[in-house]
This record gives sequence, C-alpha cells and structure tokens, in this order.
Amino acid sequence: MSCPKTEHLLQEYFSDDLAPLAKDEMENHLHSCEHCSTELETLIMAQSSLNEWQDQRVPHWDRGMELFRREHRVSNSGFSFWNKLQWVPTAASFAMLAILLLNVNVVSSDEGVSISFGGNANQDSSLNSRLLAFQQEQEEAIDALVQRIEDRQDSNNIELLQAVMEQTQQTTAENLDIIYAFFEQQRLQDLEDMRVGYQELVDSDYATIRSLQQIAQFVSYQGDIR
Amino acid sequence: MSLIDEDEALIAAALNGSAYAWEKLVKRYESKIYNHGLRLMGNSSDAMDLMQEVFLGVYRNLHRFRGDAKFSSWIFRIAHNKAVDLHRRKRLLSTQTRIGDQDETDILESIPGESNLEPDKLVGDQLRNKEIIAMLGKIPIEQRLIVELKIFQSQTFEQIADMQDISENTAKTRFYTALKKLKVVSEENNVLS
Repeated sequence: MSCPKTEHLLQEYFSDDLAPLAKDEMENHLHSCEHCSTELETLIMAQSSLNEWQDQRVPHWDRGMELFRREHRVSNSGFSFWNKLQWVPTAASFAMLAILLLNVNVVSSDEGVSISFGGNANQDSSLNSRLLAFQQEQEEAIDALVQRIEDRQDSNNIELLQAVMEQTQQTTAENLDIIYAFFEQQRLQDLEDMRVGYQELVDSDYATIRSLQQIAQFVSYQGDIR
Repeated sequence: MSLIDEDEALIAAALNGSAYAWEKLVKRYESKIYNHGLRLMGNSSDAMDLMQEVFLGVYRNLHRFRGDAKFSSWIFRIAHNKAVDLHRRKRLLSTQTRIGDQDETDILESIPGESNLEPDKLVGDQLRNKEIIAMLGKIPIEQRLIVELKIFQSQTFEQIADMQDISENTAKTRFYTALKKLKVVSEENNVLS
C-alpha cells in the first residue's frame, strides 16, 4: 500500500528548518500512515549506518612542509632578525673589494673628509703643500746625514791608511832584515866553500908534485940502469 | 582561546612564515580531509591525492582567506571543489569506477603500527568503513557529495545549495534519492550477509 505524500513528506522530514505547524502535521501523518513510517525508518537506518564511520588514521606524509620551507626561505626573508642581516657580510666583502680595486683614497683634513678614486687622482692642495714640506725636510735631513757620513768616512780612511802604512813599514823592515840575514848566511857559506876548494886544490897540488917526484925518481932510476 | 581564534592565529603565523604554525594547522584538519576523501574517492591513494591537493590549494590561497567564514567551512569548500575536479579527471581517464572495488590489502596497510587500539576493534572499524565506502560507491558522485555534506559535514541544505550552485530543493531531492538508494544497497548487503 503506497502513499502519495511519502516523497514530499520525507524530503521535508530531513529539512533543516521545518515549521512547527508542518512538523505536527507530519507527525500526525506518520502515526496514521504505515507506509510512510516504514519508509522513514529504513531511511533513518541507512543514514545511521553511514554514521558508523570511524575516522581512519592519515598515512604518513610531509604535510607540505618541504614546499612551505622552500618557498618561505626564498620569498620571506623577514622571517627573523638574523635572516634580515644575512646580506651584511656579503655587502661588506664587496665594499672592501671595491675599495681595493678602485684604489680609493680617503683623506681627513681640517676642511673635512675627501674621497678620491684611482692612484693619479688630483690631490688636495693642502695635502700637496704638506707633502712638499715633508719632502724638503726629508731631503735636508738626508743631506746632513750624508755629510756626516762622508766626514766620518774620510777620517776613517786616513786612520786606516796610516795604520796600513805603519804596518807596511814594519813589515818591509822585517823583510829587509830577513834578506840581509840570508845574504850574510850565503856569504859565509860561499867563504866556507871557497876554503874547502882551495884546500882541495892545495892537496891536489901536493899529489901532483909527489907524482912528478916519483916520475923523476923512476926516470933517474931507469937512466941508472942503462 | 576558541578553536576559530586559534585557527586564525595559526593562519596569521603561517603567513608570516612559521612552519610550526602551518604544520599545526594541517594536523588539525588533515584527518577530516583525508576521511572526507576516503568516502568520496573510495580508496586511500585517491584520498591522499585529494588531501595533498586540498592543502596545496589552502597554502596557495591562504593569503586570500579573509576570515569572513570559518576556516573549516573554507577548507571544506576547497576540498569539495577538488573532489569534483579529481573525480572528473579520473572519470576521463577510466570509465570504470574504483568505488567499492578497492585493493584488498588496503585495510591491513592502513592499520597504524603504533596505535593503542585493540587490533580486533581496529579491523572491525576498517571493515565497517569499507562497507560504507562500498555503499557510497553505488550512488552517483552528485548524490554522494550531498550525503557527505549533509551527514558527515552536518551542513544545511542552504549551504549545500550554495556550494554546489544548485537550488535548495534540488539538494533536498538529491539527498532523499541518495538515501533511498542507500537503503536499497543496505538491504541487499544485509540479505547477502
């Protein structure tokens, strides 16, 4: 046994905001109509069977953390105080490099601070004058020093020459003495040699005379025989 | 501090680059979104895909969240749209639906090892969930979405109509039709078991 009201009635039953009057009418009808009440019961059963769902645990996943960290590391540099200052060491390095490469001169004077680039840059006039004065002062000091060194060198040379000459004189005298002694020794040796020679000569003369005497004796002996 | 306020605080912190706040926000909603995906898509693989797409969408659009509505409503609206998209893409790829015809190892694989729950109860819950997924798999996605929103998200027909860009009466009719179909499926299951 069907009921023409079933579909409309049950659709309304599941509505969110059923008017009190309509709700009463529905209750009355459901009490009187078995078809509608049975139908409703099965629908509620179907609905309640869905409500038995138990939430399942989520399998492990990274929760988009990698993406989050990657994007925020790149795009959001204001993450913390220190992150903000991360560029400082790099900037300082570049600044130092620029100073070295461009040969930057920073001059502090009474008129203020002046900065110039490159080795041949125009110098401040006051700096030039100070440099000239300094140069002159240095030259004078060097000249005086050179003069003093020259004087000292001269006196040293004279002393050295004197010493050398004295030494040389002494040495020469000693050498002459040695030569003299040598000559004397040679002379004495020659005299001795001569004396020996003469002695030998005298001896040989005696021998010759004796031989002559012997020859004469022999000759006279032979004459006697004949 | 209420949950809504806490959501907003977490969103603000996440927008300022706090990974901790973002993770906490995700943890708060991931289970709801994952289970939502399981019921709509019918398997854990697609549910994971959906969940990841939802949170990617949330991440990309977090700066647009004005706080006019609750964050939970906002995130479920994204989830709803992503589910419709994903379902459409899958239907284009394959005409055969995988709903109710899942990989048999799904139940065992999804049991967490460190759970304190009793294994019997856990397997029972998983089986019941599987039956529910099988029942939902028998109704069209349009009706399934309304059942999901009405029963599991406890939304009003007005909200459902607004989200799906349909009339309130259409929403009611679809819900009623879905329930009737589910009743038939449930009765068939009871007869078979």
